Amino acid sequence: MITIIRQRGLPVVLIVILLFFPQLFGILHTNMFLSFSIMSMYAVSLNLMLGYTGLLSFGHAMFFGTGAYATSLILTHIEGFPVLLSILTGCLAAVIMAVITAPLLVRVSGTAFAMLTLAFGQLMYVICLKFREITGGEDGLGGFTIPPFLGIDLTDTVNFYYFAMVILLLCLGAMWFFTQTPFGNIIVGIRDNVNRVDYLGFQVHQTKAIVFLISGGFAGIAGSVYALFQNLVSPEGTLGVFVSFNPIVMAVVGGLGSFFGPVVGAGILTILEETVSEFTDRIDLINGIFLIIIILYAPTGIVGLWHKLKEALFKKETAQ
Amino acid sequence: MDPTTAMYVAQTIHGLAYGMLLFLVASGLTLIFGMMGILNLAHASFFMLSAYFCLSILNWTGNFWLALIVAPLATAFVGILIERFLLRKIRGAGHIGELILTVGLMMIIMESVKFFWGTDTYIINVPPALKGLVNIFGMEYPVYRLFIIGITILILVFMGLILFKTRLGMIVRAGVSDAEMVGAIGINMPLVFMIVFGVGTWMAGVAGVAIAPILSVFPGLADQMGMDAFVVVVVGGFGSLLGAFVSSIFFGLLNSFGIQFIPRLAPVLMVLCMVLVLSFKPMGLFGERE
Repeated sequence: MITIIRQRGLPVVLIVILLFFPQLFGILHTNMFLSFSIMSMYAVSLNLMLGYTGLLSFGHAMFFGTGAYATSLILTHIEGFPVLLSILTGCLAAVIMAVITAPLLVRVSGTAFAMLTLAFGQLMYVICLKFREITGGEDGLGGFTIPPFLGIDLTDTVNFYYFAMVILLLCLGAMWFFTQTPFGNIIVGIRDNVNRVDYLGFQVHQTKAIVFLISGGFAGIAGSVYALFQNLVSPEGTLGVFVSFNPIVMAVVGGLGSFFGPVVGAGILTILEETVSEFTDRIDLINGIFLIIIILYAPTGIVGLWHKLKEALFKKETAQ
Repeated sequence: MDPTTAMYVAQTIHGLAYGMLLFLVASGLTLIFGMMGILNLAHASFFMLSAYFCLSILNWTGNFWLALIVAPLATAFVGILIERFLLRKIRGAGHIGELILTVGLMMIIMESVKFFWGTDTYIINVPPALKGLVNIFGMEYPVYRLFIIGITILILVFMGLILFKTRLGMIVRAGVSDAEMVGAIGINMPLVFMIVFGVGTWMAGVAGVAIAPILSVFPGLADQMGMDAFVVVVVGGFGSLLGAFVSSIFFGLLNSFGIQFIPRLAPVLMVLCMVLVLSFKPMGLFGERE
C-alpha cells in the first residue's frame, strides 16, 4: 500500500499541482513558479554539459542570451510573427552560436575550456552592450508585442503559464530521452574516461560538438521563453556573467550526478530566497552562507544527500 | 612637439599607467589562479575590502601611509583565514567547488561591505605628498599616477625576487609544474598554498588601497576590476608572471588607443583578444601549466 502511494501518489500530486498551479497559488506565485521553471530548464540544459559530459562551461549565458535576443528581435521587427516560430528562431540562433564556437571549444578541456567559454560569453555580452542600434544597449529590448497563439492571448499570466509549461516540459522530456539513448551513454563515457571512449572508436570531438548543439539549443529555448515571459531582455539579465554562473550553482546545489538535480537546486534556491526576503533584505548574505555550507558539507548536492539519508535509513531497518 | 605626436605620447603614457593598474590588481590573481590553480572569483572582492579598510583607517587616523601598510595586511589576514578554514577543505574537488565557494564569498563580502559601510560612494583624497602635477616630455601628469606605476614596478620586482631567488619561490614554481610531486617529496604543500594565498590577497589589498583615491570607494568597485583582472591573467598565461605583466601593458595600451580611435569597440577588442588567444593558445601567451 505504502509503495503504491509512493510510486503512484507523488506523480499524481505533482501533475495536479502543475495543472492547477495558477488557481491554487495565485498570480504572484505563478509568476515566481514560471521564472523558476525557466531557470530549471536552462540549468538542466547546462547539466547536459556539466554533469553528463563533464565540461565546465562559464559561458552558457551566450546560448540563453542569444535565444532571448533572437526572439525579441524578430518579434520587435516582424509584426504578427507566430510565437511558436519565434521560439524556434531563438533555438536556431543558439544552435548557430554553438556551431560557430564548437570547432574552437572541442579542442580544449579543463580550465582552458572554462576560460574560453567565459571569453565567448563575455564577447556576446559586450557586443550586445555596444551595438546599441540593434540591441538597445544597456536598456535592452522590451515592450515588443507578443502575438496570440491559436487565438489564445499570451499576455494573460494564466494562459502564458500553460503555454510555457507545455514547452518547458516537452524540452525536459526531450532532454531526458536524450540522456537515455546510446549517445547519452557515450557522453557519460567522455566524462568518466575520455581516452577509453576514444580507443573504442567513438569520435570524441564530434560527440562533444553535438552535445554543445543540443545543450545550446535548449538553453536558447529557455532564453526565448524568458524573453516572452519578461517581455524585456537586457545584456545584464540574459548575457551577464552571473547568468552563466547561476545554473552551475543550481546544478551543484541540487546534485550534478542526476538529471533532476538542477531542478531541485533551482527550487531550493528559489524557496530560500523567497523565505529569506520575508525577514531581511540581505538575501545574498544568506545565499552566500548557504552555498558555502553546501559545498563544504554536501558536495554531491541535495539529491546526493537524500540518497545518503535513504541509505542510512535503509541500513537501520535491516539492522533491526 | 606637434599635436599628433603629443596625442600619441599622451595615449601611450595613459595606456602604460592603466596597464600598470591592471597588473597591480591581476598580480595577486596570477599567483592564486595562475600558479596555484585556485579559481578565485572573490579576488576582486578582497581588492574592494582593502579599499574599505583603507577608508576606515583614513577616517580614524588620517594617515594614508599607515593605511597602505595596515589595510593590505588586514586583507591578507582575512584571506589566510578563508584559505585555512574554507578553501583548503575542497582542494582537489576541481574548479566547480572553488567556483561555488568563491561566489558565496563574493556575496558575503559584498553584503558585509554594504552592512558596515553602507552603499555610498566615498571619495578618498590623494595624500598631500603625492598631490600635484609633474612635467614629462612637455606634458602635465599627475604625480599620483606615477606613484602607482612605481608601486607596481616595486611589486613586480618583489615578486620576481621571491619567485626566482628564494626557496619558497622555488617550491611555488615546482608546484606550478606538478603540485602532487612536490608534496610527495616531503614539502608541506597546504602551508605553501596558505602562504601563497595570503601573499596573493595581500597584493590585492595593496592594489585596493593604491586605486582607492583614483576610482573612489563604492560597492561596485569589485565588478569594475574583477573581470579585467581575470582576462589579463588568462591571456598572459597560467603560471606566468611575465605573461601577466605583458598582457596588462598590452591591454592598457589597447584600451587607451582603442578609446582614442574606435571608442565604441574598445571593450569588444579586449574580449576579442581573449577569445583569439585562447582559441589558438589555450594556455595563454606565456602559459606553462597544463
